Amino acid sequence: MALISLTGITKYYEMGSQVVKALDGIDITVKKNDYLAFIGSSGSGKSTMLNILGCLDKPTSGQYLLNDKNVEALNQNELSQIRNLEIGFIFQSFNLLPRANALSNVMQPLIYRNIGFRQRKQMAMEALSRVGLTDRIDHLPNQLSGGQRQRVAIARALVTHPSILLADEPTGNLDSRTTVEIMQLFDELHKEGHTLIVVTHENEIAQHCHRIVEMKDGKVFNDSRTGKDSMRVAV
Amino acid sequence: MFFAFLESFRSALAAIFANRLRSFLTTLGIIIGVASVIAVVSVTGGMSAFIGDSFASLGSNSLTIQSYTPFEDLMKGIRSRLTPADLELIEKRGEGIASITPVLEANRSSQIKYGPQTAYSLIMGTTYAYQDVSQSYTQIGRFLAQSDNLTRRRIAVIGEDVRENLNLPENPINEYVELSGEWFKIVGLLEPLGDVMGQSRDNVVLVPYSTMVSILGNQAQTDIGIQLSLTPTANPDVVISQLTTLLRNAHDLNSNEDDDFRIQTAEQLMEQFDQILGTLTMVIGGIVSISLLVGGIGIMNIMLVSVTERTREIGICKAIGAKSHHILMQFLIEALLLSLLGGLVGLATGYGLGILIANNIPDFPPPSIPLWSIALALGFSGFVGVLFGILPAAKAAKLDPIDALRYE
Repeated sequence: MALISLTGITKYYEMGSQVVKALDGIDITVKKNDYLAFIGSSGSGKSTMLNILGCLDKPTSGQYLLNDKNVEALNQNELSQIRNLEIGFIFQSFNLLPRANALSNVMQPLIYRNIGFRQRKQMAMEALSRVGLTDRIDHLPNQLSGGQRQRVAIARALVTHPSILLADEPTGNLDSRTTVEIMQLFDELHKEGHTLIVVTHENEIAQHCHRIVEMKDGKVFNDSRTGKDSMRVAV
Repeated sequence: MFFAFLESFRSALAAIFANRLRSFLTTLGIIIGVASVIAVVSVTGGMSAFIGDSFASLGSNSLTIQSYTPFEDLMKGIRSRLTPADLELIEKRGEGIASITPVLEANRSSQIKYGPQTAYSLIMGTTYAYQDVSQSYTQIGRFLAQSDNLTRRRIAVIGEDVRENLNLPENPINEYVELSGEWFKIVGLLEPLGDVMGQSRDNVVLVPYSTMVSILGNQAQTDIGIQLSLTPTANPDVVISQLTTLLRNAHDLNSNEDDDFRIQTAEQLMEQFDQILGTLTMVIGGIVSISLLVGGIGIMNIMLVSVTERTREIGICKAIGAKSHHILMQFLIEALLLSLLGGLVGLATGYGLGILIANNIPDFPPPSIPLWSIALALGFSGFVGVLFGILPAAKAAKLDPIDALRYE
């Protein structure tokens, strides 16, 4: 059963009199525990793709089924709820709340589920220990290194136990050593059964994934498996 | 919803305290507004509570008649007067009067001397009936007597303050004091009466009416006051209208001319004071509400800036699941807390100001803040917070998550 099913998704923007087709007829399905990378040059439509998949934006036409739920019929508040329940975002620029410490940042999504402080803290601590960050949880984001910030962001994405982890250029702001660490963490999360979708323009990052979807001019240009599935079986 | 509410509260407080100086400056308008309301209300509240007490002690069934000159006439050099003839007329023809006395105040120097000491006091010429009318009695010695008046004796009954100011002995009877170059023997010391409106009622010297007339000299210019007390059964309104008719006839006033005198009861005096205080409070309240309005605009302004500053944060929160009402609530609570904190600081400042004012004016009654004014001040500042917080909060809640996330 497909976790995500996109059928004939289009997204058009009107720029004055011109219509920009950011997405132009996308059909794609993503199974549970898939590890997928969208790659493509800038303007290929991969960011729009991510916004649609993350329920931040609605397609102009087409059908988006997430866990067999039709997403396009939902209003902004219902989309917020879907994002809270189903989706964990990991951003290039981390997007942590600057005035909240690491622990509070991880607890933040649980507030919108109306969970009490004690349970919030417990769940956040679990998520933080999963990403290997237990000692600097009372630090503000600007007191943490880039890698630590991204770990906090990943913990924040994990804490809600979402169906999908959506990562937008997750290593774009990191040095090469930290990049390796974060990608290893992604690999581990995948092995634990998470579904990961990574948007990137770096081939190296995409090579970690098991499926690479190459986008060009708002269309799927190539959709292939890297053959890592068999490796995983071997492990 | 509950935990989200709690969390909005906490994060609003955190935001306010993260920018302490800015929050303080933002709420300054509210602080000043509320502080002025409370200072004014506490001072006038103290005064009117006090007025009630002190006028009760004046005796409620006494009337005061005084001449009244409209300002226009005063400019023309015309002065209305009450004359001894008026007094005589009322004595003869007035009904329902228990006792009546003229009161003649010294209009020049009210200096009084005893040995090397000099003091200033209210010097009044009056008669034995003053005792009943004003309910002031002697604690030592005797009051003015009828015969003192007939023989224009140079005697005086003094109040407690005068005795203290002149360093007179505890028992000042038979001591001599100097008034307008004449020597007066003290025959009585009045019981202390306390203050009315911050003015001591014990700083008085009473001398016989005819003695006062002779000291003042030119009798043609005499303008006396008349105080009278009513019999227990008399209706003050009836007596007032009868006296009005009497005096109008005596003064040859046409029906189109106004009274050239005023008849007042103690209650009327009290009402007048209350009216003045009420008007004062309202005028200042009006001025102050403008300052609260300005304060509210200040809060709105800063909240709008704050929404813009935190656009990205709002985007993050929305991306991880915040609904519109979560964001709305957070900013609304922040605006509300800002103005409520301002209101509280203003409340404390205003009360402090009230105490300061009361302490620095001698004999001023202590400030009292009625509960309604606290409720009003806090309610109003809360209202201002919500009113001027709604627009920025709605702006924040309406933000599109994608645009907000992209905001630099």
